[in-house]
Amino acid sequence: MTSIILLSVFGIINLFLGFLKSNKILLPAVIIFLAIVFGVNFLDWNNPQSHFNNMLTIDNFAVAFSAVMVLSLALILPFSRSYINSGNPHLAEFYSILMFSLVGAIMMVSYENIIMLFLGIEILSIAMYVMAGSHKKELRSNEAALKYLLMGSFATGILLFGFALIYGASGSFNIAEIASFSSNTTATDLLPMMEIGVLLVLVGICFKIGAAPFHFWTPDVYEGTPTLFTTYMSTVVKTAGIAAFYKLVWAVFPGLNEFWYPTLVAITVLTLVIGNIGAAIQTSFKRMMAYSSIAHAGYLLIALTSFNDYSENAVLFYALSYTVATVAAFGVLKLVSDQREGETYEMFNGLGRTNPLLAFAMTVAMCSLASIPLTGGFFAKFFIFGSAIEAGAVWLVVVAILMSAVSIYYYFRVVMAMYMKEPVGEKVAVDGFAAFMLIFLSIFTFIMGIFPGWFNNWL
Amino acid sequence: MIQNVFYFLCFLTLISGSMVVFSRNPVYSVLFLILTFFSISGHYILLNAQFLAAVNIIVYAGAIMVLFLFVIMFLNLNKENETHKSNLSKFAAVIAGGILLVIMVAALKDVDAGTYKAEGFDSQIGMVQNLGMVLFKNYLLPFELASVLFLVAMAGAVMLGKKETGERHF
Amino acid sequence: MIILGIFGITLLIATYCTYAERKIAAFIQDRIGPNRAGPFGLAQPLADAVKMFFKEEFIPANAHKFLFVAGPSLAMLTACMSSAVIPFGNTLIINGNHIRVQGIETNIGLLYIFGVVALGVYGIMIGGWASNNKFSLLGAIRAASQNISYELAMGLSIIALLMMSGSLSLRQITLQQGGEFLGLSGLDWNIFYQPLGFIIFLTCAFAETNRTPFDLPECETELIGGYHTEYSAMKLGLYLFAEYVNIIVVSAVMSVLYFGGFNFPGQDWVRANIASDPTLAHNLVTILGIVVFFGKIFAFIFFFMWVRWTLPRFRYDQLMRLGWKILIPLAIMNVVLTGAAILFWPQLKAMF
Repeated sequence: MTSIILLSVFGIINLFLGFLKSNKILLPAVIIFLAIVFGVNFLDWNNPQSHFNNMLTIDNFAVAFSAVMVLSLALILPFSRSYINSGNPHLAEFYSILMFSLVGAIMMVSYENIIMLFLGIEILSIAMYVMAGSHKKELRSNEAALKYLLMGSFATGILLFGFALIYGASGSFNIAEIASFSSNTTATDLLPMMEIGVLLVLVGICFKIGAAPFHFWTPDVYEGTPTLFTTYMSTVVKTAGIAAFYKLVWAVFPGLNEFWYPTLVAITVLTLVIGNIGAAIQTSFKRMMAYSSIAHAGYLLIALTSFNDYSENAVLFYALSYTVATVAAFGVLKLVSDQREGETYEMFNGLGRTNPLLAFAMTVAMCSLASIPLTGGFFAKFFIFGSAIEAGAVWLVVVAILMSAVSIYYYFRVVMAMYMKEPVGEKVAVDGFAAFMLIFLSIFTFIMGIFPGWFNNWL
Repeated sequence: MIQNVFYFLCFLTLISGSMVVFSRNPVYSVLFLILTFFSISGHYILLNAQFLAAVNIIVYAGAIMVLFLFVIMFLNLNKENETHKSNLSKFAAVIAGGILLVIMVAALKDVDAGTYKAEGFDSQIGMVQNLGMVLFKNYLLPFELASVLFLVAMAGAVMLGKKETGERHF
Repeated sequence: MIILGIFGITLLIATYCTYAERKIAAFIQDRIGPNRAGPFGLAQPLADAVKMFFKEEFIPANAHKFLFVAGPSLAMLTACMSSAVIPFGNTLIINGNHIRVQGIETNIGLLYIFGVVALGVYGIMIGGWASNNKFSLLGAIRAASQNISYELAMGLSIIALLMMSGSLSLRQITLQQGGEFLGLSGLDWNIFYQPLGFIIFLTCAFAETNRTPFDLPECETELIGGYHTEYSAMKLGLYLFAEYVNIIVVSAVMSVLYFGGFNFPGQDWVRANIASDPTLAHNLVTILGIVVFFGKIFAFIFFFMWVRWTLPRFRYDQLMRLGWKILIPLAIMNVVLTGAAILFWPQLKAMF
């Protein structure tokens, strides 16, 4: 609760900082704000509380995921150096909107009432529509914003209709009451209404996390959106969406398990296949990362289909390792594409020779995403598969491992380009802060891969 | 009497709602949408929610739709510059929509929504005072946090809409 | 019955508003004004109406026929609808029954007026667009943006008032103002508590009714006739008429909200002394109240006309700046001040 209040207040303060003529103070200020929020967030650790007539429950689940998301934003922002240097007049708004959207993200992981979930999704989505179009003069950015807005609004409509039907059936917005209604088999009169509602909500949330077959917006939007905000979309938005989804299926609709389980498994398989195969045939690195984010949504959905002692931790670990690797990959992409036009694989040619640091960070990130041992990504998948096998879904794990093998192909294309091709351009200039962040992210990935136990037993 | 009013309003809502979709001219679509809001407000009044009815008219019909109309009149869309949609996408849309309809009808036809119970009915439930109590007691947090939503939307709109230095007036 | 009566009276006043406007204009400009039709030109509005009815009904070739007709009708309809909830007087006691001198009493009266006024802009927008004329469209767009902008400030200025009254019913708000102020009964008017709110409301009322100095939608020098450029005969008449009806309604609302409605100073004394029969006394006071209420309305109408022939027109960007950058912040400040005053009222009272 405190973190929500603090983020809102800091967001407003930050808007006022925008009145200062210099952009230089904004980044340190926001990092300090986020550090405060990160620290304050942990005050509620092991102290579950519900606030405001059960609107919000801050339990360890909420604290852990909020921490991951606040951390992601703090990791992403150091790569916004090019905005500071070019004197972008809207930098304060960018930062503030991102901070406000974190409020929505935290609402999505700590909701106790469906209304809070809906509001959280909307805060996050509307912020993202704006950020997608934040490069006003760029046609691709405009296209991304428009596409995202239209499709997103449609998905929101479906989601809201689903919530309305659920409310109509159960007579409450409170998730505990909905759960008890859906577990109560005697109330069969209204059950079909509830089921339709669950189905529509499933569709809406799957759209928001970009799971197939509701993924069509993802590549275009990710490609058109400025890289900094693509990073945010594929980390924070995805983490929040998956955590909200996890809570939704296991805390709100557990009674309807038999009804939604087949649907969710089908969506999972479809997402895995489309995400990985789609990523393999891309020529643009950024588009590949978009499909890769779809694929990773698929792996996360595997954890959703299995509910046991491991799954919660598995989702958290996966979200963290995926976030760290994705931020590093997009960070390198941003640095490189700011100075070499384009976002194709060829752009990375010979980066190993001109910029060993960037190439190294990118390689670590790619290894982690492809789940090579010694990196965080390996154990992330290991835990997810372990949880799924525990739940008895062995064939799902087989599909996922096959698809992981496919993923090695496209992740290593960029590594090959960096180390085995002739350089295409000058050395890419890297500022100190970004370099430090890249080193930090690489070390973090290794720590997660070597000491996974440190991160795996939180919940 | 009330029942006839209800059926009339339903008829009006459905007809004007579908006319929103079927109208060739976007301005007519918007006007039908306003009519839809009106009939929905009528439903609110039948449900004894006068405040909701009035607010629905003021906010949706009175403000938001004016802005809609505003933009559409400026764009001056008409038949000539309507984008062509391929038959395939029309076909896919009809099938997808049709399947959803079939599923909804199939699932909801068995639903027994219960009947009206006079003893449990509170005639004051839709009044301003009660609404205010619910809104500012039980739902205070979402109500307040909605302001974050509006702040995001406002900051975003200002950022996207603001004239950059050096941009020309139009 | 009552609603028909109110409707008829409103239309009658609106008719004579055209006459009054011309007479007042003439007076301010040191002319005589209409004086041919009837004594003092009193039949002039009738002559005008006859002229309007018998002129050619012309619809431009490329206009949207249905909407072109619907525009003025809608403008007139919404203007007339809003008078339904205005309490023109207290109750009349006939055969022991209390009969309210009001069309409809509803607990959301003020919101109803707001809703209907908000819809009024559709008449202008539809008409302006259907004319298929750039000037008409620009006039309509101006009207719409102006109405929306000033509706915000208007609503905010009323919120401060509602915080004090705690009711949305216009009758309730009026009755609350019947108390004592400075030793005089029936003078406990809201204007003494909400002067800033009243000024904001008044300014917004001018903008909402498209009157000078905010008559940008029909600004001749820039837009010919604005949204009614293409209109002629009775359709034009309806637009002009709707404007006057709106003025009457908004004057009545201002009288109700800030000037005590049908309350008049010393009404309790009058009630006690005018007649020995309490029923008769009540009825007489009610009738006096109705007269006083109409007096207040006429005073505001006169004020509207006075301003029109005195002040020049704003420029469009000035209009928008005034609405968004001055009136809305002022109105919000007024809300905050009122809230603080209500909260600390007991302490303040104890201090003095």
